[in-house]
Order: sequence, then structure tokens, then C-alpha cells
Amino acid sequence: MDQFLQLLVAGLATGAIYALAAIGFTLVWQTSQTINFAQGEFVMLPAILALAARDLLHLPFWAAAILATVVFLLLFGLGFKRFLVDPMLKHGVLPLAIATMALSILMKEGAKDGYSAQAAQFPSLVPEGTFSLLGAAVSLRDVAVFVVAITAIVALQLFVTRTRLGRTMQATAQNPTVARILGVRVERMILLTFLINAGLAVLASYLISPIYLAKFSNGEVIGLSAFIAAIVGGFNQVRGALAGGFIVGLVDNLAAAYVSSGYRTAVPLGLLVVFILFKPEGLLGRREERTV
Amino acid sequence: MTRVLEVKGMKKYFGGIRAVDGVDFHVNKGEILGIIGPNGCGKSTLFNCILGQLTPTDGEVLLEGKPVTGLYPSELNKLGVSRTFQLLQVFPTLSVRENLILAGQEHQGTKISRLFGRGDAGLTDAANRMIAFFKLDHLADQKAGGLSYGQQKLLDAAMAFMAGPKLVLLDEPAGGVNLTMLAALKERLEAINREQGATFVVIEHNMDFVMSLCSRVVVMAEGRVLAQGTPAEVRADPAVVEAYLGH
Repeated sequence: MDQFLQLLVAGLATGAIYALAAIGFTLVWQTSQTINFAQGEFVMLPAILALAARDLLHLPFWAAAILATVVFLLLFGLGFKRFLVDPMLKHGVLPLAIATMALSILMKEGAKDGYSAQAAQFPSLVPEGTFSLLGAAVSLRDVAVFVVAITAIVALQLFVTRTRLGRTMQATAQNPTVARILGVRVERMILLTFLINAGLAVLASYLISPIYLAKFSNGEVIGLSAFIAAIVGGFNQVRGALAGGFIVGLVDNLAAAYVSSGYRTAVPLGLLVVFILFKPEGLLGRREERTV
Repeated sequence: MTRVLEVKGMKKYFGGIRAVDGVDFHVNKGEILGIIGPNGCGKSTLFNCILGQLTPTDGEVLLEGKPVTGLYPSELNKLGVSRTFQLLQVFPTLSVRENLILAGQEHQGTKISRLFGRGDAGLTDAANRMIAFFKLDHLADQKAGGLSYGQQKLLDAAMAFMAGPKLVLLDEPAGGVNLTMLAALKERLEAINREQGATFVVIEHNMDFVMSLCSRVVVMAEGRVLAQGTPAEVRADPAVVEAYLGH
């Protein structure tokens, strides 16, 4: 029971981080029909950038983290859209998907060659230690990670549903043609979703790297988990991505403890197959029909 | 009488096909003009040329005497020309009220207030008035995607009037709407014309709807204007009878 409770909390914490990355997936999908196969690397890289800025520029960690955030938003929010998505999307969704795969390899190998092939300690932004809950020693960090991630998601949801800019973003995602006629600056709204995606990736990166250490190959597992989370929850819903993130986080952690740590990533993949076979629109997703 | 819209010598050719072949008409302030014609007579092409969605081969569009030929739809919208769509185009996950606010918001405020201003762009009252006017009160907070087809048509029409336009172009408002809803739509359009002096152009197949709603009618056939005048005049025109009923 003690162990189960610990796993539950840890599962919710990693699940919340997966949800951040999965929400980025769904946002970018909704506004530009892009599946970003480099999403995992998007979560891997900010932590590496922060460590590189600290070590190479001899900055204090907080300054390095801020610098890395700004650089990442420019390169992988603005730059990603301008120099990869815009030119490739003209040729169709598939060439773009393949281009993002190439980007993922570039980011991974770039992180390895440019910083380190070793896993590096990443300072925790949230308090360490444990506290007792129903007799189980629960990690304070897990709880804090959960709270921070959920706060970010709730804030994003409020922004999208309650503000003028968010409403305009929704309209852009649903019907760019009419939104444009109504005077909405559609291009700017799409850019905003890419910036939000990059911002969520930075947050996820800073939250997960203290747990798993910062390493160039982290993106593989995170990207896959976020992808599964988005499919399971429903690709066109933020709420769905959140639910999917929790499910994958919990299944992942419980499988590692009770099935086998070697097969832990296989269990969420099994979940993916089941969903694609029996409920392809996901838990909360809408069926999509595309007109030609 | 001031002319809100004037179309002169409008032509649109697609290769050898003369979809619109020299159309002239105008819309007076406060008038409801109907454009009718059999399928494929060029009504929709004409509409799209006026609204900047197609580039005309030749011809001129004047809005209150100023040339607006070839402007983008969004630029025309800024100048006070709004439209509804033949196929419904509301935003399904936004509520009825949010749809209306969205339709008006880009006409409001400055660059700064767009970013940091009030979430409703100061349009909640205007949206509520429009909701009351189109009798959508009970649906104000529901998502537009959950409305019936006819209710969505009403919302679409309401959105077109939201920014206080000089001219509204309605593309087949009666298409696919049941008779009860059609009567409600017609009655509301007449009211907005009477009470607020709104000027609009209606493109329609439905003869009864056009003949009872419009003060003046332009009949098109094969890309040209066959006849124009009051509904009674047009109905009595032998050329119109022939185009619609054959020999």
C-alpha cells in the first residue's frame, strides 16, 4: 500500500509533465495540422541549453535558465515555425512530419556533441525531501512538480477560454478562413501557439530533468509518452491531452514496479495499440472529418 | 438616394467559360436587394468577385463611390462589408455570445488594447442586444456547435450585423432551413432593415423568400442580368418566365 501510494504520486507527477508535452502536440496540431515528431527533443533540449549556458558562459544557474528559455523560444517557437513548418507545410503534412523527424535527430546529436554524452545533474527548481502521507513517504518534489504543471495547464486553459486572445486562437484553429475575413491576424495567432508549445516544453524540461537527469537521449521516451498521451486522450482536445498524460504517467510508473522495469515503455505502447484499434478518436476527442 | 454598392461591367472568365459576363447593378442605402437566377447562372461567382475572394477579369466595384475592386475580404470587412456563408461558418467550440464578440472585436480598439484590453473588447452589451434581437437568448451561453442548423443560420446572420456594417451580403440564407426557421429569419431581417436601416443583398434560389423579402430584384441568367425591378415587375417579365419555366 505504501509503495502503491508512492507510485501513484510519482505517476501523477510524471503524468503532468507528459501532459505539458502532449498539450503542445495538440495545440500545434489544431492550428497547423503539424505532428511534431521532435516534441520529445523539445522537452530534452532546454535543460541542456541551461546547463551549457551555466558551464560555458559561467552564469549563475537562474540566469542560465532564463537565457536558455529565451533562446529556446526564439529558435524552437519562432524559428521552428518560420524556417521549418512554413516552408514544408506547403508540400503537405507528410514531408513536414519527416522534416520534424530529421529535426529530432539533429537536436539529439547536437546536444550530445555540443554539450555532453553523459547524463548531467539538473538543479531542482522545487523543494526536495519527503513527507508522510497515510504512512507512506511521499516525495515533496513529486507533489511540487504536479502542482506546478497543473497550475500551468489551468492557466493555459483559462487563457484560451476566457481571454480575447485565447478566443481568437480558438477561432483560428477552427476556421482560419472565416477568422481571417473577420480581421483576425491568423498568422500571428498560429505563431502564438508555437510559442506556447515551446514555453510548455521549457517548463516540462525544467521539471523532468531533475528527476531523470539531463541527457541528450531523454527525448525518445518523453516524445513517445507524450505522443501516446495525446492519442489516448484525443488529439484535438487540451482536456484529453491532460487525461492522457495522467494515464500514461500512471501506467508507466505502475508497470515499472509491478511488471518489469525493462518493459515499462512497452506497456504504454500496448495502450496505444488498444486505443487505435478500439477508440481511435481517444477518450475525449472528437471524430474529425476533413473536407477536400 | 445614395448608392452603397455599385458594380460596373463585372466580368469573370474561367478559361473559355464566361461565368459572369458584364453585370451592372447597384444597391441603394436602406434597401434589400435580391439576386436570383437558376443554378450555374453566375450568382456565387459574382458574389465572390465583389467580396474579393476571386479576382474579376474586368469590371469595377464601388463602395459608397470609392473603388474597392480586388481588396481582400478582410479589408472589405474593415470598410464595413460583411457576409454570411452558403455553408455554415460559425465557430463550434465558442458560445453564441463569444461568436458574436469575435465577429465584432477586430473593429474595436488599438494594438495595445487588443493584447491587454478587456476580454470582451467591450462588446458584451452589443452581443447581448444582438442575441435578444435574433431571439437567441436561451442559447446565449451554449456552444455554437450544439445548435440546430437553423439556429446556426440565425447566429451566422447575427454575426454579419455585429460590426455595424454598411452592407451585408447574405449567401443563400434560406438553404436547408425549415419553414418555421425561415419565417423567423425573414421576419428578423425585415426588422433589422426597418429599425436600423441596414442595407443588404441576398443571393437565393428560393423565389418565394426573395420575392417577399426584397424591395428590388436582379435576375441573372448565363452570367448576365436578365431583368431587374420590383418583385412584381420581374415576375411579369416574359424573359424571366422563360428562363425559369422554359418554353
